[in-house]
Amino acid sequence: MNLEKVVFSFFMILALTLNFGFFVGEVDDPAHHNVYELYAVLVVNLIATVMKFGDRSQLGAMLLATSLVAVVQLISATIVWTVAVHVQDTGLTPAVMSTIVSLSGGAMLANIISVILLMIEAAMLRH
Amino acid sequence: MNLVTSMILRRMRTPFILLIAVYNFAILGMILIPGVDDQGNPWHMSIFHAFYFVSFTATTIGFGEIPFPLSDAQRLWAVFSIYILVIAWLYAIGKILALVQDPHFKAAVTRSRFKKNVKTLHEPFYLVCGLGETGHEVVTALTEEHYRAVVIEKNPNNLNEIRLNDMREYVPNIIGDASDAHQLEDAGIRHPKCNGVIAVTASDDTNLKIAITSKLLHPGVKVVCRSELKEYEENMLSFGTDNVVNPFETFATIFQMVMHSPSLYLINDWLTGAPYTKLSDPIYFRYGHWILCGYGRFGKQLYQLLIDQDIHVTVIDPSMEVRDEFEHHHVEHKNNFIVGTGIDEKTLKKAGIESSAGIIAGSDNDSNNLSIIMTARAINPDVFVVARQNIYNNHDLYSATKANLIMRPREITARKIRAVFLNPLLVDYLEIAKHYDEEWANIAISRMSGVIGSHNPHIWTVEINKSQSPAVSNALKLGRKVFLGHITQDPASRYLKLRCVPLMHVRGEEKTMMPEDDTEIQPGDKILFCGTREVKNSMDWTLKVMSSLNYVMTFKNEPESFAWRILHRYLHKTERRKVPR
Repeated sequence: MNLEKVVFSFFMILALTLNFGFFVGEVDDPAHHNVYELYAVLVVNLIATVMKFGDRSQLGAMLLATSLVAVVQLISATIVWTVAVHVQDTGLTPAVMSTIVSLSGGAMLANIISVILLMIEAAMLRH
Repeated sequence: MNLVTSMILRRMRTPFILLIAVYNFAILGMILIPGVDDQGNPWHMSIFHAFYFVSFTATTIGFGEIPFPLSDAQRLWAVFSIYILVIAWLYAIGKILALVQDPHFKAAVTRSRFKKNVKTLHEPFYLVCGLGETGHEVVTALTEEHYRAVVIEKNPNNLNEIRLNDMREYVPNIIGDASDAHQLEDAGIRHPKCNGVIAVTASDDTNLKIAITSKLLHPGVKVVCRSELKEYEENMLSFGTDNVVNPFETFATIFQMVMHSPSLYLINDWLTGAPYTKLSDPIYFRYGHWILCGYGRFGKQLYQLLIDQDIHVTVIDPSMEVRDEFEHHHVEHKNNFIVGTGIDEKTLKKAGIESSAGIIAGSDNDSNNLSIIMTARAINPDVFVVARQNIYNNHDLYSATKANLIMRPREITARKIRAVFLNPLLVDYLEIAKHYDEEWANIAISRMSGVIGSHNPHIWTVEINKSQSPAVSNALKLGRKVFLGHITQDPASRYLKLRCVPLMHVRGEEKTMMPEDDTEIQPGDKILFCGTREVKNSMDWTLKVMSSLNYVMTFKNEPESFAWRILHRYLHKTERRKVPR
């Protein structure tokens, strides 16, 4: 067992699970979506992205790409949240909430692809 | 992903993860620790405010306690965060700086920049391996003519910025071993625009490897090598190396010219040295008794040339083995060998310096050679001196001895390579000129000096084809007759001829030396000219611009604009048909 592989897989799967946790629930109901969970998703995704840096293989490049997509989506979601709550004081109206949740849904899709790629890589290893 | 970015990303992995972790640790604390708002109610920082606070604290900007004054518990956390955040930042920045300073990283950056520079070359270029004195001269000559060059050199000292910065074109260069195939590939050996490979490293073995690699990886490329040893030369030629330059053999040819025809030597010296040489004074060889000091590679060749002319030669060499070899090969001359260096008066007197016509200082040691020359001149001031220079830095010392003929291996090689690449016809011209007599050479040199005078000469080749001389080839296609005299006419004035001499006219295999003005030009012809650079520029007008060509053929200025052309055609409708064009 390789500790590096454990940590690497841990962060990628955690990114997906947290993302899922934030995503489930009524799409426009603020009560179903916790801000701290979104925050945690973003942080874990950032770490997962950085861990994928510097791998020159084709699979490594695709893993990095999926993570970058997820991070871009999540950062957009947090910016929407921040602007709605702190800048424009509109509060979390159903319209705002559904935007945030659908953005995080997109990020979740990227995270799913990323985990699938991880599984493919694991399956390809023969030893 | 290229090597450089992946290197940066891999090295930055740990610092980035650390930064993210420390940031979020600090943010989390800020969110969790309760504070008090301006009305005295308990208050928690939102994620946004916490991120804002940590961001300006981490970067030591410090806007203050925003949006409300912090509670003491929050302040305690802030103090703690400041230290860990600043340390994390310092660590990350330190890593970046360390990476930039890292020699492997620097090498990777240089290499990838070099590869990119070579890949993006869109003009024909030459790959020069070895930037010693020869390589430097060759690169200078190529860039003077606005050809591009790429350089591989082993020794970083030879590759410093100053030596390549004063070139007319940017020269991509790299430190590396040119005998390595990967290195050659990086330098663009497979590049479709790679026109030629010039292998002039100090080692014959490396040059051989470069030639083999080049011929294997890019069979069509022109390869020219320097080689000082016969067996390498033969090996190189065996697999199709286009030209092998052996400075010793080339000098032997020059020495032969001096013996046979001083004018021919002048032509050779002047034309191969162009554009850096002025016309030198003729050297008159002296027949009589000769002394040869140093019977090595150099000495043997000259010895053979001298005894072929029935000249009596005394050989001086310090080595006993050399004496045995000499006596074995030249049994009839075995009494003409003296063991010694020739640097002392006694040996030279024994060899008969007082009454000898010439002396050759041909050992592979510069101090000995210089000493031989000085001693010989002291005893017999009129003696003809041939000197062999080994180390480039002794250039001025050798010049100061005023030896009649100095053999400078690097200069000879550079001149030969310059001719091979820039004016291949010049090599043929000199080869043919060797078979002409002194009288012909005298006429040739006087014609050349007549037009060039004290200017620096310039040699160029005109090819009659669409790209190099569009006007002439168009005129020929229309069935007009163009003569050499038209091309040498000054396109600016009907009363002046261009100050140049056509040296050779080549049509297929047929080569005409010193062609006359009434030579008819045909498509595909090549003409070698000698003149000055300004003259070449004037000639380009005739070759490339139709109205200039019309002018030198008819001495009439014809209109070029559309409206005037129509008007002109209308006015001279009848007249034009009568004029033979």
